[in-house]
Amino acid sequence: MRDTRSLPARLALYAAVLVGAAIMLFPFLWTVITSITPEGSLADGPKLVVDDPTLNAYRTLLDAIPMWRIIINSLGIAIASTVLQLVTGSMAAYGFARLHFPLKNVVFGFYLATLMVPLQVLVVPLFIEMKTFNLQDTYFALLAPTIASAFGVFLLRQAVTAVPMELDEAATIDGAGHLRIFTTIVLPLIRPALATVAVFAFMGSWNSFLWPLVVIRSPEFMTLPLGLSTLQGQFTTQWDVVMAGSVVSIVPIAIVYLLAQRHIIAGVAHTGIK
Amino acid sequence: MRHIRTAATAAVLTVLLAACGQGSATKEAAAPEGKSVVRYMNFSSNDGHEKDLTAIVNAFQAANPNITVQVETVPYADYFTKLQTSVAGGTAADAFELNYENFVTYAKNGSLAELKNVDTSVYKKSLVDAFNDGGKQYGVPESFSNVVLFYNKALFKKAGVAEPTAEWTWKDEQAAAAKLTDKGAKVWGDYQPVSYNEFYKVLAQNGGEFLNADRTQATFNSPQGVEAAKFLIDKVGKTMPTEADGAGTPDFDSKLFKSGKLAMWHTGIWMFSAMAAAPFDWDVVVEPGNTKKASAMFVNGLVVSAASKNAEAAQKWVTFLASSDETTKTRLATSWELPPVADEAKLAPYLEQPKPANRKAVFSALEETVLPPVIERQQEMQDLVTAELTSAAAGRKPVEKALADAQTKVNGLLKK
Amino acid sequence: MKANAAPVRARTRKSGGWKRLGWVLFFLLPSAIPLFIFTLVPMVSSLWVSLHKWNLISPMEWVGLDNYRNLLTDETTRRVFLHTLIYVAGYLPLVYAGGLCLALALNQKLKGRAFLRATYFLPVVTSWVVVALVWKWLLNPTNGLVNQVLGAIGLPEPGWWTDPHWALPAVILSSAWKDLGFVMVILLAGLQSIPSDIYEAAKVDGSSAWQRFWRVTLPLLSPSTFFVVVISLINGFQVFDQVYVMTGGGPSGSSQVVVGQIYDLTFRYGRAGEASALSWILFAVILLITVVQIRGQRRWVHYA
Repeated sequence: MRDTRSLPARLALYAAVLVGAAIMLFPFLWTVITSITPEGSLADGPKLVVDDPTLNAYRTLLDAIPMWRIIINSLGIAIASTVLQLVTGSMAAYGFARLHFPLKNVVFGFYLATLMVPLQVLVVPLFIEMKTFNLQDTYFALLAPTIASAFGVFLLRQAVTAVPMELDEAATIDGAGHLRIFTTIVLPLIRPALATVAVFAFMGSWNSFLWPLVVIRSPEFMTLPLGLSTLQGQFTTQWDVVMAGSVVSIVPIAIVYLLAQRHIIAGVAHTGIK
Repeated sequence: MRHIRTAATAAVLTVLLAACGQGSATKEAAAPEGKSVVRYMNFSSNDGHEKDLTAIVNAFQAANPNITVQVETVPYADYFTKLQTSVAGGTAADAFELNYENFVTYAKNGSLAELKNVDTSVYKKSLVDAFNDGGKQYGVPESFSNVVLFYNKALFKKAGVAEPTAEWTWKDEQAAAAKLTDKGAKVWGDYQPVSYNEFYKVLAQNGGEFLNADRTQATFNSPQGVEAAKFLIDKVGKTMPTEADGAGTPDFDSKLFKSGKLAMWHTGIWMFSAMAAAPFDWDVVVEPGNTKKASAMFVNGLVVSAASKNAEAAQKWVTFLASSDETTKTRLATSWELPPVADEAKLAPYLEQPKPANRKAVFSALEETVLPPVIERQQEMQDLVTAELTSAAAGRKPVEKALADAQTKVNGLLKK
Repeated sequence: MKANAAPVRARTRKSGGWKRLGWVLFFLLPSAIPLFIFTLVPMVSSLWVSLHKWNLISPMEWVGLDNYRNLLTDETTRRVFLHTLIYVAGYLPLVYAGGLCLALALNQKLKGRAFLRATYFLPVVTSWVVVALVWKWLLNPTNGLVNQVLGAIGLPEPGWWTDPHWALPAVILSSAWKDLGFVMVILLAGLQSIPSDIYEAAKVDGSSAWQRFWRVTLPLLSPSTFFVVVISLINGFQVFDQVYVMTGGGPSGSSQVVVGQIYDLTFRYGRAGEASALSWILFAVILLITVVQIRGQRRWVHYA
């Protein structure tokens, strides 16, 4: 029924989309190629063929920084951060979308306000705050600013608002309270939004640099972006090693996205009314 | 869905509990009984010399069994962000590294502990004096590096031009550069970055002064200043590539020299090890001056935090790191910047290394040096002078106007 | 269905205020408490700092509203706000239009759809360190790919990174490219939630594809669009990473943005008080724009 589109139109669409995909993939491919080029550097322009491919950059990388520890740290923090944001965010989204209370919009305004001051300015007061509670240089300090995110709350609120109230009301008649409605009706229906928030929460934590830089001192808490930054010296930089680091850094998020995007595209369950 | 959520929540709670527990163990310097801990933060060992620093630490700890040194290394690009935040938060290390330009600010506002009974005779006078503020010694010099003129002997031979000597002046340099530049073959004669760091130096080489005696006025917009700026800017496009060609981007000049496409190069001695593998013969010489010689010198120093509870041990550590024989030997062996010691005999191993042959020049350059002019709003001054000069070099402004604007702006900084 | 609505509402009203408050607290506190402690409190601290002169390493000095006065009359503040405004005005239409095209295209039943969606998202998850290097090469004035192509067709070759007039457009282009995947993902989720029977009904009514797009798709997509616009504006005004890595605010300050200036003031120039004041001026601007949008929702956002 859908394929009434003419063949040339479909081919044109395909071609355009593939060209676009090639353009998107190109930087990543170039990074990978540079990482296996001996003394490679992105300033030389992209090459498709490598004369002597070598895994030297990766060996140096493993030598230069305690890669496994760093990846475990980053992974652990990112996963914890993601789960926390999903839980706190979806609950707040339900609260804003389904519950009525005075000054609701003012409170939501405060949530949004937390997105409007740049991290660069918050870093110093936050660090002093952590020091006051003697929590600097801990996993908790890394996690704390990411437990909740107004970005997630906002996105999830939009999603919950889109779930028809009739479903809630039907469940209420069956005797369900808010918690039951939240877990059995709302959450399953906002899976795409949850998956989206998961991806962004993971990504935000994975690539986070300034806050970990300032709050972490002990090498055992080091995260990936911090580790990779040590590869850039004061006067010279080993670009092939930096590229190898970037490849290592991209792979886990790409995996997370691949896993999550199945849910983002799900969409079949949304017509719950039927 | 529910199972996953319960499991996830449990996992998160476990992580959180573990996190709180983990952190507290390493927060306070876990000092073994009877020992004191000195926390040391630095940038210069990053990217290549971490093991050298560890060797020096081990040697120190062996000689001082009651002191443990905990090292924290931060890349230069992020170092000051981290340092300032830690001082603001009260978690600054007991001892840390500062380059000369930043030392002045920290010394003036009481963040540094005065170092008592420092034996200044072991250091080169100009270096140890740099860390003296108002008659009090607030730091010890740790290492220094300077800028010299690198030249590609093969290219000189090919073009039939006489090699640079210690007697050269700007005129000789310009003449040689013109002969050595072959745009067709993409070979350039002379590369010197257009920046604040180069400008205050060539200004000195031309007898000019950047600031007046009591540092209240900028004085670089003088005839000598204009001449010096023109010396720098005239090279762009003639004997060195332009900004549009990529000049000024990271590693551009080192690549150019290493690939044998650059005859003369103004850069620092930190490039010695990077250029050791170059496939042609090269050497160095003290930079030519105009009316006088002046070489740019960059000094790193070690300081003790005023808030440190362990100042005595910290001072012992920094003294060891600065001037012990162990450090001197390690630095020379791995080309990790130059030790600031006065005793030339200890520096002999450095002079004996090959390529470049004329390593003496590194020390001759110390005879006529110029330290960076430092004001309270240092970074802003550097940024704006470089911005004005770059505009002039790119042809967006005449040199005279750029210099005049720069001086007005710097005077503005000095006023506030 | 409707006949039952009245008794349901009556029941909840009788439940009373305390129970309702309990539920509100239950659902909101897990996020409200961390946001309060770890974001709102530092925000208030920074407001306090903005009333002082502080270089981070000496004690603070009270200056009252001087920082605000100086900033509002300073040419640099005007310049960085202008640049930021230009950035947002260029970035938002590009990234939305591009993301929408992608979402529409990848909503079709194409083979390898999942792979394509992942590919388009790749730049979003790549750090700016890598993306910056790639774009610096792409837009290199002498041997970058873009100028080579432009030259081949006979178009003028801009100076990009080295030209004060083209540095900001270069940042805009690379940013829009990088974030296309993000907009695509949000809009795709929105497209997915439009029931297909609505399209069927519109087709039966004899509408063209173009009409269906304007009258059905876009309006039903408006909640997602709203989200994209609000978030993109909030983030766009705070653009920093890419400017810092690609141009450092140059050449000659022609691409310096507000947060770039805030960063420099705090960590490079030792003027944390002014940096905080500048960030609160920025906050006021962003808040104003966001409030206007939220109020304006009624006009164009259609919730199901």
